[in-house]
Amino acid sequence: MNQAVQAELITHETTPHALPPVQLDQFEGPLDVLLHLIRSQAMDIFDIPMAMITAQYLEILEAQQEMDLEVAGDYLVMASTLMQLKSRMLLPRPEIDEEGNEIDPRAELAAQLLAYEQYRMLAEELNELPRLGRDVFVRCIFPEAKDVQRPLPEADLDALLMAFRAVLKRVGGEVRHRIFTETMSVRERMATVLERLRKGGIGLDELLADEPGREALVTTVLAILELWRQQMISVVQSEALGAITLLPKEAVE
Amino acid sequence: MNAEQLQRLGTQLEALLLASDEPLTMARMRGVFGEGVHSSDLREAIAALEAFYQDRGIQIIQVAGGWQFRTAPEHADMIQHLWEIRPQKLSRSAMETLAIIAYRQPTTRAEIEALRGVKISSQMVATLQERGWVKVLGRKEVPGRPYLLGTGKQFLVDFGLDSLKDLPDSAQLIDEDEIQQMVMGSIQEHDYEEEADTENPHQNERREARG
Repeated sequence: MNQAVQAELITHETTPHALPPVQLDQFEGPLDVLLHLIRSQAMDIFDIPMAMITAQYLEILEAQQEMDLEVAGDYLVMASTLMQLKSRMLLPRPEIDEEGNEIDPRAELAAQLLAYEQYRMLAEELNELPRLGRDVFVRCIFPEAKDVQRPLPEADLDALLMAFRAVLKRVGGEVRHRIFTETMSVRERMATVLERLRKGGIGLDELLADEPGREALVTTVLAILELWRQQMISVVQSEALGAITLLPKEAVE
Repeated sequence: MNAEQLQRLGTQLEALLLASDEPLTMARMRGVFGEGVHSSDLREAIAALEAFYQDRGIQIIQVAGGWQFRTAPEHADMIQHLWEIRPQKLSRSAMETLAIIAYRQPTTRAEIEALRGVKISSQMVATLQERGWVKVLGRKEVPGRPYLLGTGKQFLVDFGLDSLKDLPDSAQLIDEDEIQQMVMGSIQEHDYEEEADTENPHQNERREARG
């Protein structure tokens, strides 16, 4: 029995309209497509003919051969929303809100379309503002080109020699290297540490206790590290932040 | 400040504006001139300069809270010939996203997606951020703590706006509630019309039921 009703409804709504063919990639999403359909056919956004718009929407969708899966999702969700709205409108009893008013299932869609249309228009206006780097320019703005040639300064041997001479003159003509002799030898220290370890393990503190001065301390530590690296001694620390003990290799084995 | 002094201040400001790399704010100008020069004098001198440059190839534009010399928009095409590379065109989706962020800030990605009815790619938001047009203002204290997006200073500079109040048509922006009311009002009107309409689906249904 419902078939007759639906048939009547659909024929009523689908007055033939020759729509100019459109490509989906001209649009920025399902709302954009719907707005195009509504505005180009001068439909009333508050009274959208659902059957007609759904058919036209699906037609555009089907005309698209290949669709990016992510993009397709948004379009298909809208297709199902449209069909759901259409079927809700066919319900015998109108939906009623808490205050007893009839709910038009299309209200939400209409609001969404209006909100989107507003921002679509604002985007266009924003795009028309004179933009820096496109319409207006400020002094010394460089295009974002990688191949901008920045010539190196001209140089020649004379200039180089002149510069060198100037430097020599400034330092008084004397350029000397001063070489310091090493007063402490790491090698020598290594021998000393090994000597002291011969009698068995020794605490690091104890070993460093009688080193005269900073230079000696550093040299001894370097010597220990070098011995350790060469695996001639072992370094043991039983607990975190605890005392460090040096052991001759034989003692460990 | 007499006319002669004002004239001199004008030429000084002109030089400052040319030398400055970014829009010159009132605070910077006051910093340069010190206590001796009042803001009112500076404003007067700027106004005179603005008037002087009104019909020239370069203009003094008030942008991002300061003043800057810019070429007049009508010379854009000619100026482009200086460079081989044309500025990149922005996609419509990028412009729409930017518009929503600009007019609704602080806003979230979910809100933008709801308004545009499509997914927003991270790539696009990243591009807008790279240009300094969009920045993260904070996080929204809702589940998932999404980023709150807004426009950065570069947005004002690049679009030649002094402040967000200068966004085109921002006064006419209709918010959700107003749209909702508009829709409800208009749909109710239609319902009354439909009562008299024999093609009304509900009436059809009733007629069927009776028959």
